[in-house]
Amino acid sequence: MPIHEKSLIRQENLIEHEKLEIDGIDVSGHWSTFIQTRVVTDYNEDMETEVAALPGGEHIHRCWQCGSCTNACTVNAINPDFNPRYWIYLTRIGMEAELLRDKDIIWQCISCNKCTYACPRDVNPEGVMKALSHWLELKGHTEKSPSMHFDEVFSEQVFQTGKIEEGRTIRRFFARTGQELNQDWLVEMIIRMVRHLPVKLLFAMGLQSVLKPRTRGWGKARDAIHEYVAEKDAEHRKALKLDPPHGPA
Amino acid sequence: MPKPILVLGAGPAGLSASHALASVGQQVVLVDKADRLGGTPILSGYAKLVPSGMWAKDAIGGMVDRVKGDGAVRSVTSATVQGFSGAPGSFSAKLSNGEAIDAAAVILCTGFTHFDSVNKPEWGFGTFEDVVTTTQVEQMISSGQGVRCPSDGRKPKRVAILLCVGSRDRQIGREWCSKICCTVSSNLAMEIREELPDCHVYIYYMDIRTYGLNEDLYYWRSQEEFKVKYIKARIAEVTSNGEKLIVKGEDTLVKRPITIPFDMVVHAIGMDPNVDNMLISAIFNIELEKHGHIKRLDTYSSMAATSRPGVFVAGAATGPETIDDSIAQGQGAALAALAVANGNRVQAAE
Repeated sequence: MPIHEKSLIRQENLIEHEKLEIDGIDVSGHWSTFIQTRVVTDYNEDMETEVAALPGGEHIHRCWQCGSCTNACTVNAINPDFNPRYWIYLTRIGMEAELLRDKDIIWQCISCNKCTYACPRDVNPEGVMKALSHWLELKGHTEKSPSMHFDEVFSEQVFQTGKIEEGRTIRRFFARTGQELNQDWLVEMIIRMVRHLPVKLLFAMGLQSVLKPRTRGWGKARDAIHEYVAEKDAEHRKALKLDPPHGPA
Repeated sequence: MPKPILVLGAGPAGLSASHALASVGQQVVLVDKADRLGGTPILSGYAKLVPSGMWAKDAIGGMVDRVKGDGAVRSVTSATVQGFSGAPGSFSAKLSNGEAIDAAAVILCTGFTHFDSVNKPEWGFGTFEDVVTTTQVEQMISSGQGVRCPSDGRKPKRVAILLCVGSRDRQIGREWCSKICCTVSSNLAMEIREELPDCHVYIYYMDIRTYGLNEDLYYWRSQEEFKVKYIKARIAEVTSNGEKLIVKGEDTLVKRPITIPFDMVVHAIGMDPNVDNMLISAIFNIELEKHGHIKRLDTYSSMAATSRPGVFVAGAATGPETIDDSIAQGQGAALAALAVANGNRVQAAE
């Protein structure tokens, strides 16, 4: 529902007792209806700084709430509850509880970057959405999103070997997200590939998946990347006041 | 001997008019009701001015020194005009100190009066010590004392600046925008953040009107470099829980009421017409405009003119005005007054 059409009264804030008697008077049912307060009583002032410490969130404080991002948003066109402008605002002033109500849709950003081009203040809303998803995850508010699993599977492989082999990426991604490898569309795709792709290419692809090739002399680069990633990881956890990552910090 | 021009009020507009006249050899009598020159920026102890960023005591103090050192300007302090008669070229003014001054023309640079926040009792000024005005914060900064809660001298952890106090408010008969408070507030917010980096500053606004070049230099900069937070809400009331000030209002962007604790609440007070404007209007027999400021005839066909020929006006006497524009208007009014003093007709545009 678009934000301006939302009712000020939320269903869960309506309290009604089926059986209630006060001072001998029966006020059961709608006679006892009352609405819980929706007053904001404090801000979580750390929230903006924390999100700004994560990649993509650096310029969140620039936002002046014009709404260009939401208007440009691909996902918003399909789901009016997906409202980057609103989430940036909640983060900036620290209305954490309010933001958490939307935690299950924030990760749905498809990174089309239309908002990035629309934003007059160069907030980089797409980056902020990434940082927000990341923040929700690190704080333990959400499970790792499918796209995060994919990113991890993808980058782990690149870090390890300096190369990418799609078959392996897909297998691992499906395994991590608990999906069956035997999916109709995937089977169909493979059948068609076998049918239509040149034999030479198919052979090369098969060889890749069997031999698991590496970039030659990759070891040094791998170590450097791992070190950098660990350093960044520790930095982010520290900014969010979380325990250091596993292993010695 | 040619008659002098009488300049009333020694603030930015009066100082600039006096200097402009003196620089072309015109004799000036500069009268101010305070015991020293400089006007509101000096008397109210402003800190850094916008948009120059110069300290008021340097910028306006420099203008005072320039006028004081000029033989063509005679300044009379602690005096007001009590009687006024005559025609352009030969006015006669009677001062409160008994002195009579013959003048060719008069420039009114009588300025404004700060809005008295007591007139908005719901926002706690006068009830709670830690509710202060922008002027008081200016003084905390310019005196070198630093921004502290008046109640116990502690450094505030959270400061709320409420905009449009005494402006854009039909309830109290002030329907004008005071023009400068948004810029002044974003500037003060940056100064607070600079002095107290751990202090969070929130600005509660209806609109932000840091017009012109101040958009990025003040509004943007306060957000981008100083992380000042702007919340679109007109505050309903300021109360206290005994320990902290409690600010109530509605955050209109999320449609949620707010009840938030603060250490210090700052009123961005507006510019009222000078409290003496009725008196000035009666003495000089000039009209006031609908809000109570001195009425300036349309600027297309006249130069700094009031409703009485030979009496000119410049600066915040005509309505909320910035210091830089007041100075420019002072120079404009000086030209108009000089034409009268030289016996020339100021021609109206047809």
